[in-house]
Formats: sequence, C-alpha cells, structure tokens
Amino acid sequence: MSTETKPGRREFIRAAAVAALGGGVWMAASPSAEKWVWQIDPHKCTQCGRCATHCVLNPSAVKCVHATKICGYCDLCSGYLQPAAPALDTGAENELCPTAAITRRFVEEPYFAYSIDEDLCIGCGKCVKGCGQFGNGSLYLQIKRDLCAHCNECAIARDCPSNAIERIPLSRAYVLKYDENAGEGA
Amino acid sequence: MFPYKENPMQHKQQRMIPDWAWAVLAIAVVALTLALFMTDRPDEPGEALVYDVSRYEAVADDDVRYHETARIALELDNPSGLAVDSEGRLWATGEGALLMLDETGREQARHEIDGRPDCVAVAPDGTMYLGMRDHLAVFSDTGEHHTNWETLGERAWTTEIVVDENHVFVADAGNARVYRYTHDGQILNTIGERDPERDSIGFVVPSHYLDVAFDAMGALWVSNPGKLGVEKYRADGALLTAWHQPGFATHQFPGCCNPIHIAFKSNGTLVTAEKGINRVKTFAADRSFAGVAATSEHLNAGWNAAEFPADPAPIRDLAVDTNDRILVLHGPLRAILVFEPIDAGKEKE
Ligand code: SF4
Ligand code: SF4
Ligand code: SF4
Repeated sequence: MSTETKPGRREFIRAAAVAALGGGVWMAASPSAEKWVWQIDPHKCTQCGRCATHCVLNPSAVKCVHATKICGYCDLCSGYLQPAAPALDTGAENELCPTAAITRRFVEEPYFAYSIDEDLCIGCGKCVKGCGQFGNGSLYLQIKRDLCAHCNECAIARDCPSNAIERIPLSRAYVLKYDENAGEGA
Repeated sequence: MFPYKENPMQHKQQRMIPDWAWAVLAIAVVALTLALFMTDRPDEPGEALVYDVSRYEAVADDDVRYHETARIALELDNPSGLAVDSEGRLWATGEGALLMLDETGREQARHEIDGRPDCVAVAPDGTMYLGMRDHLAVFSDTGEHHTNWETLGERAWTTEIVVDENHVFVADAGNARVYRYTHDGQILNTIGERDPERDSIGFVVPSHYLDVAFDAMGALWVSNPGKLGVEKYRADGALLTAWHQPGFATHQFPGCCNPIHIAFKSNGTLVTAEKGINRVKTFAADRSFAGVAATSEHLNAGWNAAEFPADPAPIRDLAVDTNDRILVLHGPLRAILVFEPIDAGKEKE
C-alpha cells in the first residue's frame, strides 16, 4: 500500500507544480496580463476640481471630452457661459472655462457646436458641472492615456471624493459617457 | 611598536554622542521624511476651478410663499408622470405601473403597464392616455389596454399629454413639437414646428423636456425651454403669446432650458418647475413674479444627487389639483410633495 501511495503523491505534487508554472506562463501571456490604465467613471465623477490640481502632471492628464451625440447644441450652453453671464458672446468675462479651452461654432439658428482644445484644458471640470447641472451632461472628464504617466497609484484617485477613478484593462478604455436614451457618447 | 598610539582622551571625545543616539536620530530623520511625504497634499482647487451656483439658489425669506403640507409616498419605482382628473383624483405613473389615488393620496387602483410611461393624462370619460416614448397607449377607464396610436418616429419622446373634450395634445420633446389629435388618434395638426417659410425656428428643446398645459380658461400653453419661457397657442398652431424670462435671478429661468414643467391654478397663476436650480415658482396671471413655492434647499433634501446620474432633475412632473394645491412629483423621493400657500389670501397671485 505504502509503495503505491508515495509515487502517486509525488506525481500529484509534480503535476501541481507544472500546473502552477504553466498557469503563470499562461497568465503572463494571456489577455488578463494586458496593460491596465486609470480611467474616470463619468457617471460617478462629481467635478470637485481635484482632477486639475492633484495630478502629478501639470497640466493634468485629465481632459474634458465632449459626447456630441448627447449634446443639445444649446445657445445658452451652461458649460460654456458663466452663470448669469451679462452677454451671450465669447468675451472672456462671459466664458466659464478658466483657460478659454472651449470654442463654439454656429450651426443654425439657434444652435451651436462646441469643441474642446485639449492643449488648453486643465481638467477642472467646471464646464462639465455646468453642462450636467442644467443641460444634457454631454461634457465629461476623462484621463487621456497618451498623456497619463500611469502612476502606480493615481494621485487623483487617492483623493477623489467620489471614488470615480479606477484601474481598468486597456481594452475597456476609454470609458465613455453613456446616455440610456442617446446611446454611447463620444 | 606602533607609530601611532591611540589617545584615550580623543577616544572619549568621539564617544560623546553614543551610538544609540545616532540610531534614534537616523530613525527620526526617516520618520520626518516619511511624515512630510505622507502629509504633502496638493492645494485644494480654488473658486476659479469649481462650478458653483449656490448663490443663485438662495431665496429671500419673503419670496417663499408656499410650504409643504403633505407628502404622498408612492409604491412606484422611477416615477415619471403625474395628472389630476376632473374628479380630483391623482394619477401617478412610473416603472411598470399606473396608480390612481384619491385626493388625500390613498391608493385606489393600480394598473400594471409594460415598460415605463413618460407621462399620463385622463379624460373626463375616464379614458387613460399614456406616453410610451414614441406613441400613445390608450386604456379604458377599467384599465384595459384599448389601443396603441401610431408611432411618432424614432426620435419621438412623449413628455406630456393634456386632454379636453375635443382633442388630445401631446408634447414630443424628441421632435420638438406638439401634436393635436382627435380622441380616436388622428393627427389634426402640429404646433411649434420649425418653419423656414414663416421664419419660425420652432420650439427649442435641447433636453428631453417639453410641457403642455391648459390654463383656467382652457387655453393651450407650451413651455419653450430653449427660449426660457412659455408660449400660448391656438389649437390650430397659431402663436398667441410668448413670454420668455432668461436669467439667474429668482424671477427668471436659468441655464439652457427651463422651465421643465408648467401648470396653472384656477386664478390663472402660472406654476413652473425648473432643473439645474431645482425650484417651483408661481407667476400671477399678468406674469408678475408671485413667489417661490418650493426652494432648492427643500427639494434637494433627503436624497443624494450622485445616486441619480442618469436623471439628476428631481422634479419629474408638476400638477395643480382641484383644490389649487401644487403637486410636485419627486423622483428620488418617490413621492408627491403637496404645497399650499403659507398665508392664504396674502399671495401676490
Ligand atoms: S477627483 Fe474625482 S470627482 Fe473630482 S473631478 Fe476628478 S474624477 Fe471627478
Ligand atoms: S472648464 Fe475646465 S474642464 Fe472644461 S474645458 Fe475648460 S479647463 Fe477643461
Ligand atoms: S495616473 Fe498619474 S498622471 Fe495619470 S491621471 Fe493619475 S496622477 Fe495623473
């Protein structure tokens, strides 16, 4: 009995070791070993402003993105104009964005199309909050992969009050703004 | 033997700081460095980087003319529409159901519905009309599904229905127009459509809010949210009056698109509900500002906006009942909030 048991156990241990090693190699080569990236969940973000100040990069790797499918092309865009702006023009005193990163183009009376100059955007989220509060929420913040330093621990995620930043597999990035009625955004 | 002989005095001097002290010092330096590292926090974003409209939400005490006198809890998920019928009963709809309540809020009947109606209206003969996004579903007074009217197209989004003895008016926010139907579902005409020949840009509806209501005289009013106001129409679509109030002052309508819901009291007072600055206000028949019925502070209490990212506007519908009470359908609270004047007779309406 004992002579039969010993080789069996040894084989089992050997097989387990091979399986563990093989599993490791497989895991290393499999898609789950793909790169992970930091992304903002636009539905959780509450636009606290820290994306502008807490990123290790200056300016931040977080930028405003526009889901044009959801946009109302509003004349009185609350992501573009200061609340209670005295005039509806592009004068700096009327613009909400602190870096004048948003431009608007006339489409047809009374509709305007809005676009973001990524180089100027500092990711403060002011426009995102204005748009979400009064409009359709078509503007949102996202971490741009090409700019992000892919820190081990995202300095913004550490202090994000809404737990809106998480690490996800590269294949799931970008996390887009989703509107149940208009479908996927930008 | 040795060229150098250790000086005992020198040795003593070297030992004046003992080894353990060096160790403590080293630990202290490391701890200090770590502490500095751990407590090093970037500056908090200042005013220039944060969007804040709280100062526009504040309302002078004297402007608050109503208070909440009752709250009717609804056994209803995701409430979406509210109506009052000619007998004063309340109808509330939401995910999969239509409820009939008496005027005190007691549930009298519950009808199961497939899907989530956007809006509801009940005709004097008891026929129920439900807006089902791209079409109307018609139910008999006993709750039997009678028929579905033809689809209004892919873009359609039915947001409000009103019925009188001759017609059914349906607001379609997706197509930015109002349809006038016969009671058996024939479209007679549309109202507020873009018409370049008449130099009309039509209703401006940036988000899914377009409302219709009858005033006390039975005249048809439609919100024009992108124009920040309301407009009165003849049934054939002719514009009679336009009243627009853009701005962030209490007596104005802020943002891109407000008011989101309208209703009328029997004395001609216009009641409006807003989003962005969640608020209900009243305007006298001459459209002078009469006061705030429900403040943002009141409507924002008891729920967390972060939990409703898909539909952050808490006011899902608005109505006035047969006793002239203002009824606010509050989505996150799953309730009808009932408002009455604080000081009856002293309203500015
Ligand atoms: S820190 Fe979080 S809540 Fe604040 S803006 Fe960035 S993602 Fe949004
Ligand atoms: S307001 Fe802030 S987030 Fe929006 S575009 Fe300007 S810098 Fe970017
Ligand atoms: S991972 Fe680093 S670089 Fe990227 S957003 Fe976060 S703090 Fe900025």
